[in-house]
Amino acid sequence: MNTRDMIDMALRNLLKRKIRTILTILGVVIGTASIVVMVSIGIGMNKGFAQQLESWGSLQVINVYPSGGMVYDEASDSMKQEKKQDELNTKAVDTFRQMEHVEAVSPVIEEYMYLTAGKYVADASIMGIEPGAMEALGYKVEEGRALSAEDSKAIVVGGGVEFYDPKLSWEMRYTSEPPQVDVLNEKISITYDWNYGTRNADKSIKPIKVDAVGKLSAEGSDSWRVIMPIKELEKLQKARQEWEQKKYGSNNSSNRNQSKEYQQVLVKVDEMDNVQSVQQQIKDLGFRASSLTDELEAMKETTKMLRLVLGAIGAVSMVVAAISITNTMVMAIYERTKEIGIMKVIGASLKDIKGLFLTEAAFIGFSGGVIGIVVSFGISFIVNLVAARQGSTMQSAIPLWLALGGVVFATGVGILSGYLPAKRAMKLSALTAIKTE
Amino acid sequence: MEENIIRIRDVKKIYQMGSESIRAIDGVSLNIRQGEVCCLFGKSGSGKSTLLNLIAGLEKPTEGKILFHKKHIERMDEDQLANFRRQYVGFVFQSYNLLPTLTALENVTLPLIFKGVPVKERNERAMEMLKAVGLEERAKHKPFEMSGGQQQRVSIARAFVNEPPVVFADEPTGNLDTKTTYEMMDLITGMAKKNHQTLVIVTHDLELAEYADRIVVLQDGKIEKIQKKLRGKGEGIYE
Repeated sequence: MNTRDMIDMALRNLLKRKIRTILTILGVVIGTASIVVMVSIGIGMNKGFAQQLESWGSLQVINVYPSGGMVYDEASDSMKQEKKQDELNTKAVDTFRQMEHVEAVSPVIEEYMYLTAGKYVADASIMGIEPGAMEALGYKVEEGRALSAEDSKAIVVGGGVEFYDPKLSWEMRYTSEPPQVDVLNEKISITYDWNYGTRNADKSIKPIKVDAVGKLSAEGSDSWRVIMPIKELEKLQKARQEWEQKKYGSNNSSNRNQSKEYQQVLVKVDEMDNVQSVQQQIKDLGFRASSLTDELEAMKETTKMLRLVLGAIGAVSMVVAAISITNTMVMAIYERTKEIGIMKVIGASLKDIKGLFLTEAAFIGFSGGVIGIVVSFGISFIVNLVAARQGSTMQSAIPLWLALGGVVFATGVGILSGYLPAKRAMKLSALTAIKTE
Repeated sequence: MEENIIRIRDVKKIYQMGSESIRAIDGVSLNIRQGEVCCLFGKSGSGKSTLLNLIAGLEKPTEGKILFHKKHIERMDEDQLANFRRQYVGFVFQSYNLLPTLTALENVTLPLIFKGVPVKERNERAMEMLKAVGLEERAKHKPFEMSGGQQQRVSIARAFVNEPPVVFADEPTGNLDTKTTYEMMDLITGMAKKNHQTLVIVTHDLELAEYADRIVVLQDGKIEKIQKKLRGKGEGIYE
């Protein structure tokens, strides 16, 4: 018996008992939909976390720090000096660049200096990075553009950076409305003279003219930062050190950058799923590394139980559906005992009989699965609509694998539920079957 | 002399009913020849139906051998038996045994479906068979829309559509009136003779037995006598 005939005959048998078939399929629809919706809420939850973390920074970026700091030691329950491993220097940066899945690497140095615009000044935490890597590192430029590899005396200013009039008293600075400075069109300079614009200004410090090419979002952790090419910032750093040396004598200067070891290196990974493995490789090299995916993992871990419970609730209705498929098939065999006998007598093989019943059960599972997925998309849509209206962060997402998996699973449950009845049909004696009136 | 298509040797079938054992078939040996119409004749309880079931592989003998050509039917497993029936055997039953949900044409195609014959070919062959039994205009009708005689014609068409070497008929006219009975017997024996097929008929009706080349009379599970037909049909002269 060929497959087409088998499917044809199975469908006919199902259509013959429409109401029973529809009710059984309905059971599978409910089972599939409840599993898929429950899982989709679990997935939506993780997606929600990821979105929330995205607003704090890119999930694909790993922060690397030099080792050798104080770390908590579990064994002795105290802080201990970590063993110093490798230096986080240009060589290390090159090593990171060679790693698989790494898209961009940038060392980071940070300096607190001042931006000037006409008579106004702004305190700025200036971050020096590789200008060519800025875009890859996930900085969201709202106006203008990000730094590119060719930039030298260019900066991108955080949307939260506020200027003030240095002639005002401290109190006035914080209470008065900040002046509107259009950084993209103003002439901006950087200086390390903290008295700039006042009577005490140091005339020996020449502000460096820079070109503000872009503006970052006013929200998130980078909003108060100023980003510039690391080479330029290093020059400024050196100039300030020399100035400090001249002014205060040789040993008074901060020498934290003299060892040429970076305080931080940013590593951009191609995909979120690879972040943890790259992070581990970096740790294995003896550096400290962290990323926002650590947070994500922790969040996923805490909600794992909840997601398991949700899945289990869905599974219960699927089990009920499976029992109802088995019941339907057993009933069908009772009704069709004679029919099975006739088919056997006129030459149906055991495989044909088994196949016929399995096909029927599989079809119930399959169609229930398909309809169940359609229903799930509907429910998912409503859940998201209601959640959005109520401002809840709960959401439901059905990725392709879940939709396809749902159909395959439902079909599988159908076949499994049909297996026992099919076997029973196969074992019916042809003779007793045809004698049944 | 025709070749023996079925050879039965010392076959016994004993049913255990509680402590009592019933000897339904008690040591039967018989040869059935290629192309003959053989009638298993006897009263109810004589064991004729049981013998047919044994030959057709629907039941297993307690003892003895049943050979179809050189194949031991009694040694076949379920799958081999299904294959054997699909390849070599057609059945006509007293109660027709048509599938109620299928049309006449579909019922006739069923053995071909199990054999894996393509749609077009099997529909043509089934239609030809329906023509041969005079039911071509009833092809699209379901069994319950037909009379008993018509249903039996469909079942005859189904038994012969696959051109099996052997056709078994178990009280094929038991549910039919006299006139239809003769029509049916003419049809069934005519078809078997035309294609040189072997026909084994079980009956308790001596009138039907007259259609046979040989009548095997059974009583209490044993062969009482075998009568050979010497002349043409209807003359009723047996050895």
